[in-house]
Amino acid sequence: MPNYLLLLHEKPSDFSGLSPDAIQAVIAEYVAWSQKLAVQGKLIGGQKLRDEGGKHLNGFGSEFRATDGPFAEAKEVIGGIFTIDAAGYDEAVEISKDCPHLKYGGWIEIREVEPTH
Amino acid sequence: MSAEDQVRDSIDHLFRHRAGQMVSVLVRKFGVTNIELIEDAVQDAMISAMKTWPYSGPPINQTAWLIQTAKNRAIDHLRRSAKSESIDGYDFEIRKELRDETRFESELTEDQIRMIFACCNPSIPADSRVALTLKIVGGFSVGEIARAYLAKDDAIAKMLTRAKQKLRTLDLEFPAGAELNERLDSVLRVLYLMFNEGYSASEGSDLIRRDLCEEAVRLTRILLGHPLTSLPAVHALAALFMFQSARFATRTDAAGDLLLLADQDRSQWDRGMLAGGLDHFRMAASGSELTDYHIEAEIASLHALAPDYCSTNWERIIAGYDTLLARRFSPVVALNRLVAVGEFRGGEAALVELSALASNYMMTSFNLFHVTRAHFLAKLGRYGESIASYARAAELTKNDAVLRFIRRKIEMLESYE
Repeated sequence: MPNYLLLLHEKPSDFSGLSPDAIQAVIAEYVAWSQKLAVQGKLIGGQKLRDEGGKHLNGFGSEFRATDGPFAEAKEVIGGIFTIDAAGYDEAVEISKDCPHLKYGGWIEIREVEPTH
Repeated sequence: MSAEDQVRDSIDHLFRHRAGQMVSVLVRKFGVTNIELIEDAVQDAMISAMKTWPYSGPPINQTAWLIQTAKNRAIDHLRRSAKSESIDGYDFEIRKELRDETRFESELTEDQIRMIFACCNPSIPADSRVALTLKIVGGFSVGEIARAYLAKDDAIAKMLTRAKQKLRTLDLEFPAGAELNERLDSVLRVLYLMFNEGYSASEGSDLIRRDLCEEAVRLTRILLGHPLTSLPAVHALAALFMFQSARFATRTDAAGDLLLLADQDRSQWDRGMLAGGLDHFRMAASGSELTDYHIEAEIASLHALAPDYCSTNWERIIAGYDTLLARRFSPVVALNRLVAVGEFRGGEAALVELSALASNYMMTSFNLFHVTRAHFLAKLGRYGESIASYARAAELTKNDAVLRFIRRKIEMLESYE
């Protein structure tokens, strides 16, 4: 079965007023979603991308330009990625529909990984 | 129930409790002068968990992860605020502490008790102590406290800021000797008020109010977990809380309207909670000191143990209220006593005693005075007078749940006339 990369886009937000209870509830929702996938054998892995730092690299040779970014003030960043196993885009979309990320205002980019062998 | 409430109802408040624990531990390490910085660090650690754990899954030892992260954040904050002179000394051995779990748990209990004592310190303004305790030890957010008190977030935030200014100046040593008793009085009073705030009927989110009751019970249990504060008065308070908590779900009907004790479904009372209340009540009897909490717990136990309303031991309940009133007059206690008098000696007797209280403005400006009067008048078939008393009570009532209750009574009585 092909692998799909889920790129979780989100708006950087200020969570300083969020209660510990609410934080726990958010975590519980994501964990329930990923654990269901894991039980079905459809979860390959997930990785959080660091909010701080990041570089954009441009140019070539003597023209190399490394700039900082994306910034915390950016309109949108990729918060993290999941890799899942799905029969096709239809299933990948179905799986992603349940991801709490959408409920919390983010959006998900779904890309099929080209098999190389 | 809102969607948010449903989510909240399904979780065990682990993070909320952890927040209070982390603040307590970090205050021991970094000092109470840094309380706000510590709160920020703890919040940062929680948010960091929220951002990371969805992808990686929660770590095996969540507590260790959270405390370590909060500690690192606190050190970052300290460095940034240029108070860095002794930071290296702060880089304490939390990993080692966490490895010794038993020791960590017992230190955690002590840290939290020290923090409870600080938040309930008599030098903190009395009206801020409950909110401060909820925020610092309870892990409640400003928004949650505001919802529980039906207040604006800003008002609570300001109150907490002022209270924390005072908190920063306090000595957090565990009180000892005669001071312990005095300080414990203040703590128990705060827990009592916290519980009552949650238990009293009110509009707004019922769940957050229930959380206040649970928090009061949890903090009482923490006190009972330490030899120095595991005292009869604390057991008495725990007994009172548990007897009251057992009835929590039956105080309102399906529509959220108030139900009087006589109308509550006793089969729905939480038996486990009642048994726990009795255990604490027994342990409360071990000392020589008789506190108000002992007497209130006894009254609550008499209600809890009666198989039905009619077989309640009113005589002993009246005696309990007499003792309480002899110690300190309180309009609420006086009215509760009269309800018992009415059941035991009849409505006429209760009305005579009520009239005696009517010269006291504190009583007549209190809506429950008129509700109580109306109640007995209705029982005696004096419906017109009863309606007038309920109407007077309604004028003095701001609380919507109570107002609905009064209006229902008036409607019912009008149909009798």
